[in-house]
Formats: sequence, C-alpha cells, structure tokens
Amino acid sequence: MAAAIATRAARFLPATSADPETDLFDAGLSSVDAVELVALMARELDVRVSLDDVFADARPRRLAQRWATAAGLPTQSSAPTGAAPAVRDAPADVVHEDLDMILADLALADRLPWSRQADPVPPRRILLTGATGFLGSHLLLDLLRQGDAHVVCLVRAADDEAAERRLGEALASFDQPWSAEVRRRVTAYAADLRQPRLGLTEDRWDSLAREVDSIVNVAAAVDFLRGYPSLRQTNVLGPLHLAQLAMTGRPKPLHHISSVAVFNEVGIEKMGEDDPVAHVDRLFAGYDKSKWAAEAALRRAREHGLTVTFLRPGAIGGHTRTGVYNPRDLSTGLIGAFSRFRTVPAFKFMNLAPVDWISRVACRVCSLRSRLCPRTFRTTTNLTGRAETLPELVKDMKLAGMNVRIANWRDWRDDLLRRQETDPVPELDFLVRILRSPTAVKLFEALMFGPAAGADRTEAFLARHRLPAPERYGSQAQLKAFERMAEDGVARLPSREDPPYLSFRERMKGHVGPVGEAPDTRCRMAFTLSIASMYQVVRHRKVDVRGQVTCERLHPQPLTVVDGEIWVRPDEGVPRMHGSDHPLLRYRLLLQDRDGGRWWLEGWKTARARRDFWKQTRTLEITIGREGGPAALAGVVRVPGKSYVPDQIDGIQVDPRLSSQEQRLAKLAWLSWFFVQVGMGLAEPSLRAGAELLDLRRDAIDREKDKLQRKIRKLMIQREQIR
Amino acid sequence: MTPRPLHTDLGAAIEQIPFTASDGTELGLCRVAAKGDDSERPAVLVLHGLTASADMFLLPETRNLVDVLLDAGYEPWLLDWRGSCRLPYNEGRVRYTFDDVALYDIPEAVSLIRERIDGRPLLVVAHCIGAMCLSLSMAAGLVPGLAGVVAQGVFLTPKMSWKTRVRLHFGGELLRSRLVNIPTDFKKVGLWSKYSLLYAEVSLGAECKDPTCQILHNDSWGVGGSLFEHDNLDVRTHDRLAELYGTVPMWILPHLRSIELAHTMMRFNDGDGRYDALPKNALDNAGKIEAPLMLLSGSDNRFWYDSNKLCHEVLSSRYPDMDVRYVEVPGYGHLDTFIGRNAALDVFGHIVDFLDECRAVHTGV
Repeated sequence: MAAAIATRAARFLPATSADPETDLFDAGLSSVDAVELVALMARELDVRVSLDDVFADARPRRLAQRWATAAGLPTQSSAPTGAAPAVRDAPADVVHEDLDMILADLALADRLPWSRQADPVPPRRILLTGATGFLGSHLLLDLLRQGDAHVVCLVRAADDEAAERRLGEALASFDQPWSAEVRRRVTAYAADLRQPRLGLTEDRWDSLAREVDSIVNVAAAVDFLRGYPSLRQTNVLGPLHLAQLAMTGRPKPLHHISSVAVFNEVGIEKMGEDDPVAHVDRLFAGYDKSKWAAEAALRRAREHGLTVTFLRPGAIGGHTRTGVYNPRDLSTGLIGAFSRFRTVPAFKFMNLAPVDWISRVACRVCSLRSRLCPRTFRTTTNLTGRAETLPELVKDMKLAGMNVRIANWRDWRDDLLRRQETDPVPELDFLVRILRSPTAVKLFEALMFGPAAGADRTEAFLARHRLPAPERYGSQAQLKAFERMAEDGVARLPSREDPPYLSFRERMKGHVGPVGEAPDTRCRMAFTLSIASMYQVVRHRKVDVRGQVTCERLHPQPLTVVDGEIWVRPDEGVPRMHGSDHPLLRYRLLLQDRDGGRWWLEGWKTARARRDFWKQTRTLEITIGREGGPAALAGVVRVPGKSYVPDQIDGIQVDPRLSSQEQRLAKLAWLSWFFVQVGMGLAEPSLRAGAELLDLRRDAIDREKDKLQRKIRKLMIQREQIR
Repeated sequence: MTPRPLHTDLGAAIEQIPFTASDGTELGLCRVAAKGDDSERPAVLVLHGLTASADMFLLPETRNLVDVLLDAGYEPWLLDWRGSCRLPYNEGRVRYTFDDVALYDIPEAVSLIRERIDGRPLLVVAHCIGAMCLSLSMAAGLVPGLAGVVAQGVFLTPKMSWKTRVRLHFGGELLRSRLVNIPTDFKKVGLWSKYSLLYAEVSLGAECKDPTCQILHNDSWGVGGSLFEHDNLDVRTHDRLAELYGTVPMWILPHLRSIELAHTMMRFNDGDGRYDALPKNALDNAGKIEAPLMLLSGSDNRFWYDSNKLCHEVLSSRYPDMDVRYVEVPGYGHLDTFIGRNAALDVFGHIVDFLDECRAVHTGV
C-alpha cells in the first residue's frame, strides 16, 4: 500500500518515483498538491486519510499505516531511520511519538566532535544557507554590504551551475541586485542540508571546513501545517550538520536563525532573550517543535565547544523601501484578511518587524568579532522589533480611512472561514488552511495571546553599534508592502466600486462652443465627488467623479459620467506649458449619452499669479470630444460661489456605518488635506513672481564692492587729515 | 591654472586633457585609460554635482564608479565643470549660471571627447546639478548622438520639500546679500566668523559631531535637506567630506530658485543673445532628447526627493515614444548613490546593466 501511495504521490513530484520512507514535502510536494493527493488516494486507492494526516507525517509508509489503523487492519511498525524511535500507531499518541523523535534528535548533538572556542577573526568568507528565501536573500546582500567578505551560498540544486541560476532568480524575485558586482563576491554550491555532510563531496566539505570563517544558517522549512517528522530533516538535522561543519577543522561560529516560535505555548508570560523557552510538550505545531528542537540541540552542542548564537525573528514583514513581502508569512495573510473584510481579531501583540531591519541587525551580529563583543557573541538576540498592538493597528486603519471592527478571535476565525466558503479568495488559502487545521490553529492562538517579545539585550546591542532602534512597523512603514499585496490580490484597497468613504456634490455651469469659436451653448454639470479611502487621496491624489453633464451641443438629454476622476495638483504642479501658470486640478471624464454615444471631457483648473484666488479655484476650462476623436468643443464652466460652501463643505456625506467620531475625523482629514493641497497649488505662481522681484536685489559681491569703496574713501580722508 | 590634483591611486592611468571652454574658462577633463586594449571600449562621460568634483567617482577607499566602469569594459572620462571644487570659480567673484554649464562646459567637453574616441559610442552618467545642466544641453540639441544617459537625483523636473523651498528660496536671500559663498570645510571657517551662525544652526539636533558632515547631512547649508544617509558612508569617506565637497557660491541662488519654483529646468539669461541656443524651458523641448534615459534615485533622497520619479511620469505621459526608465535604489539618499561604501553593489550594477543595454543597441549587437 505504501508503494502504491508513493507511486500516486510521484505524479506531483519533480522526481519520477517516491520512496515510501521519504517525506513527500521534503521531496517537493506543495500544500496545494497535498489537497489533490488526498483526493487522488480516495479515488484511486480508496484510502481515506485526512489532510492533517498528510501534513503531520507525509511518509507514504506512515500514511498507509494510519489508514490501516483507522480501518482496523493489522499493521507492521517500521523504524524508518536510526534516529527515529519505533512508531506507535494510535493517533492519540502522536504527541508522544513526536516527543520521542525530538529526544532522539537531541541525542544526535552528542555525536558531534569536540571543539574549542571559535577564533576571534573578522569573517572574510561566510557560509550562508537559505539565501534563496525571503530573509536569506536580504541577509546575503547585507552580509556583502557589511564589509568585503565573500559569501558561499548553499543552494538546493542539481549542480553548482543550477544553484547559481536558482540563487540569481531568487534574488531577482525579491528585488535584490544580482549584478556582476554581486556575483563576483558570491559563490553558489549545490548542497542539501538534510544529507550527511550537507550532500557535499568530501573535498568540498573539507575545504569549507578549512576556509570558512563563519556560518549563517537561515534555511528552514517554514510550514505551519506540516508535522514534526516532516520538518525535522531541514529544521533540526540541517543545523546539526552545520554545527558539525563549524566544529570540524578550524572552529567557527554558527549563527542560527531561530524563531520566537520556540515560545509558542498558550499562556506563556515572558518572551525575553534569556527567558526559558516553552515546554516542548505544550507546543502543538510541528514547526514550533522543530525550531525548539534545533535550539535545544545546538545548546547541547555548546557543551561540546560549539560557538553558536541564536537570532529569533518574529513575523517578518515586507521591506519598508521596496515593499517586497513574503507571501507565505502569516502576517501577510493577516494583513490581507484585515484589509478585505475590515475586521481584526482581538490580539494582544503582534511581534512583527520589517525584513530590512531584521536582516540588517542579524547581519551585524553575524559579522561581529567574538572578542570585541563577547556578550552578544554567545547568546540570543530577539529580532522581533517593536510589537504592534491592537489599538495602534485600529488607529492606523482609521486614519487611512479603512476603518475596521474588532471581533473576538474565534468569531473572527469563524467569520473568515464562512466568507472563504461563500466567496473564496485563493490568495488567502494558506491562512484559511492554518485556521482550519486543529494543530496549526493552536499556534495561531498562541500568537493572538502571546506577550510582546522582550528585546533588552538587542536594544542595548543596537545602541552600542549605532544601528537603527526598532520602530513600529506601522502604516507608513508597511505602505509599499501593502501596495504590492494589493497588486497581487492578497490585500485589497478600497476602490470606486465600494460604498464611498466620503462624498459631496459639485455643481458647475458655464458655456461651451466649437473649438476656436465663442462659447455659445449653456453647459451644466452636477457631479458627486467621492473618495473610497484617505489612502486614495494622499497617495494618488485622485477623487472619483459620478454624475451628469447637460449640454445641448452634445445631446438634448443629460449625459451620464461612466468613469471619471479628478487629479489634485497633477504632476505635482509641473506647468503644462512654459509660463507661470500651474495646474491645480485635472478632470478626466468619460460621458455617455442616451443613445449610447460616448464622449471624453477634460478640464483644468489653473493657478495664476493673480489676486482672484477664489475665482481660480472654481473655474474649470474644459474641452470635449467624441471618444477616440479630437477636441470638438471648448468652454469654461464655474462653480457658483454660492453653492461652494453648502455643497462641498457643509454637504459632505460620510459613510453612515462609521461612528460619529469617525465621521468627524473623516471630514476633517479630507478638508485639511484638500485645502493644504489647493493652498500649495495656488501659492506656486505667486511665489515665482515674488522670487523674480528678489532676483533684482544686490548680492554680496555688489555690496562688498561698495563696502570696499567706502573703506578706501575713508582711508583717503584719514590720510588727508593726517597731512 | 591647473585643477587641484585628483585624489586617487590610479596614478598614470589618468590622462589629463587640457580643456578651456570657449568663454575662456579653464576646466578639468581627464580620461582614465584601461589596462590593455581600449580600442573597443565605449566612452562614458561622468558629470559631478555642484561643489563636488571628479573625485567623487574615484574614492580610493571604496569600490568606485571608475573601477566598476573599467571592469565592465568602458573608458571613463571625468569632466570637472565650472562648479567643481577642484577649480577656483566657486570661491571667486565671477558669477556664472547653469546656462554657462549647459552651453559651454558640457557640449564642448562632449565634442572634445568625440574627437578622441573615433566613433566609439559615448554615454553619460550625470549626478544632481550636472544632470540638470545636461538636460538643458540635451533639450537644446547641443549634445546629439549620445548612446545613453544616466541621471541621478534630478533631471528635468526638480522638486524640493516645502520646508527647503521656503528656507532656500526666501531664507537664502538673506545669505545671498551677505555672503558671497558658503564654505563646506569647517577648517576654512574657524570657530568665529561670519559663517558661525550658519554652522551653529546646522548643528542643531545633529547626531554626528563633525561640522562638515552637519552642513551636508544634518541640514544641508541651512536649507533643511539632507544629502546622504549617514550609515551608507565609509568612515574614511566621511572624514574627508571637506575634500570632496567645496564652497557653495551664493550667486547661483536666483537660477536654482527659478528652476525649482517652476519645477522645470530653465534658461536664466533671457535678454542675452549668447544664450539663444538654449531653450527657455527644457521640459517643453524634451522631445529633442533622443538618447535612452535612465533616471536613478535613492529611495530616501531628502534633497530632491522623488524628482526623478516625477520626471519619469511626466516624460512618459508627454512623450510616450521616449525611451525612459526609472530605477529607485532602496535605502539610499542623494550623494551616497555614488560615494556610499556599497554603491558598487547597490547602484553601479543598475548603471552598468543600463549602459550595457545601450551599448548593445548602439553597436547593433
């Protein structure tokens, strides 16, 4: 049966066959494939296992055993690896089974060689794993930036050439440079962390042991659904193999990227660098257990002389400058869900920091010379940044005009699962799978109620090394990442189709006529201007337009605005043509008449260096033409002075679902932003006129000449007097 | 007059070329010869910013642009235009405007280089005011046939923060009538002088104690900008900023102000027939720019902010056929895109990739 499952599974794998003892995820199975595999097994083999069973332990033999146990068939237990103990079959024993396996893995640390303290040398040649990952790719570049070290990257690939190609593609996908300047300082070796000697040839292993000054381990299988047996190869055995390399030949420090997941126990009180980690029997998710076991094994290796530092990031947010984010980070799914459904679960703290900060600090720790900084060099650093709190998040969303409701986290989960069933969003699938999985949801619960990770030692370290102090990963910092998420469909920005955040009327009247002739026909416009969020105006300076245009030259009946927007201070006020007039607002509308005919309308409000500012803000010069055709009509329309205040200030309607305080905030935010923008626009031509006058003033060279002449004259007078 | 010697360890590889602009101003021009055969190397003219000099591309303490260009198969040519701190003009009493740079310095240097390179492609990498002057020369059609242009920081559409606008354009007026120029080197100024107030002002809230760093980084010349990200500089570069950035002439203010307030590169000398070759407004004449263009900017440029992003948007909407792209370097400010200790990793890769592309198109490979 195990062989039959392996054959079915092989259809999803890059290799042609699968070994019944190899974890399918390790062999390359993805979470999506797992769902299909479950269906396939049920259909073709009549083997019914749950998705959770597959995630917990995806060795085909174990799957067969589980199915057999559930079906009441006799099974033979197997001992797949020397490290793993005999497997018990009852599902209730899964926890013990995992614990036994962890204990066996910890014992592997005792087989490591004995070694002395790592030499205090500045790292000139650094070994990096996980450089194709999100954090690893950022860390690779930061390690290069730190000094002039050469970095050797271990990449899972068929050969070195493929490894370099894969590394280059990964770096490019995370917006990292992969230029000749980077390539000349990076070497990629094909390797596999899970294999003894990292899957390297003996020669290469020896030469690395000799030449490398420092090892940085970022590689990890990050999957909250998979069980410990499925993750241990990469997350526990991998670090042990690296420890072995670190202790072979010249001893070198091992910097291990761990995770605050080692604290992921529901009800833990403190998460400081020196606080005891969670009780492993109270960790549920396989990922948490694997990170715990790796730290424990490496701590044990310290007794053998290994120099090891632990760096524990929490959730890793997108880059504050490039906006590159990790689609598989839990925080990504959460931000996506918050922005889509506008509800947040009542969490306490979210230990979330941007990848650029984490990478920069981690890199500095990795580049330390041990003698210079003994305190940091052998200890733990929490790279969690400053924890986000619920009120801060709610306030940020409120200011962006994307107000959210707070819900009990279980209600929030139920609501999310219900929405996903009725209207599935594929980008949120991985979050939903976590929320559906009974083990992964425990991890999630621990995250919701966990404390803020303490980082006293890290902060002291940052101050000592003049590194940027942790800042809140707030709305400004995550703006770029959020925009990218919205582009990719993970998050969602409010759009024209949503109920408006705020809207008001604008009425205009005036005359238009054929281009080049005097305007002779009356033209009236009745618009509703609206914005979907403050983000839209502050970031893109655009306002949505709906409404009607009445002009007999176009059609006897009013025309409807199909699509339209107003751009406030278009191009930051760069003049359209040479002159001192600066654009203030640009209207671009698409109109449709009752017979289906379509017209475009373009209008400009312009600031001029004249005193009639009130008139300038209300006057719109328009041109109209058939869709796809040139301008046929031109004219001027104006907002009547009387209607401006009642329509556009007093008449502002805010989304009625908001509380009255939120409504007032919305009005105030909009008006203050808009008036500042219009004020700046109006000021520009006058400032230029003023500056032209200032140009006429005499400068210091002229004044110095006068001064010199006065001095000479004084001297001459003095000379005369002396005579 | 010979320019101050270059601070470099390249030695004999640098060939100084005597160059006097046709208005009689002596300028500095040098060619960096590559080891081995250079008959196929495209030439790259590199233009510095105001008060800087060709030294900013030759920093011996880091991997600099000239190293990278040489390794990538180019022949760098470094022009010290009249705003260079290797030349005495910024400290003198003879006023000049950017019109002179756009009319004399850049076009004449380009034709001089053309004479020497026998039809090899010529590309330009320009920084800050150098790029702005180049945009005026290009819009005037004075430098035709360039194979590609990289403009860092600012190009056709300068834009500053409102704080800087108020302080530079109007506050700067107080300085213009009292000071001929502002030295960047605190050693030249001393503790008590007419510049003391300014140096006191720029030191407010500064983390770095070096007064030269303060006047560039904390509060650039008292106008509220910042020219680089402090952490991006090598310590050795930081300690010799005074050599790299010289005196700022105050008479340049009216031209700079008129350009920035209009958000477009403009000619300043109106009633002067000598400058008729230059268009009044370079943006209106940007259609004459035929070279592929890469606009480069640090994501944290706190002097010109996103001027180049704006320029990219304006050019691509007004001239849809123009070959123009925008590259933003995360975590960089303004000057550090060239003098930063990791500029080779983070910035020059983009430049070389673009130059390679232009070179391939130009030679028809």
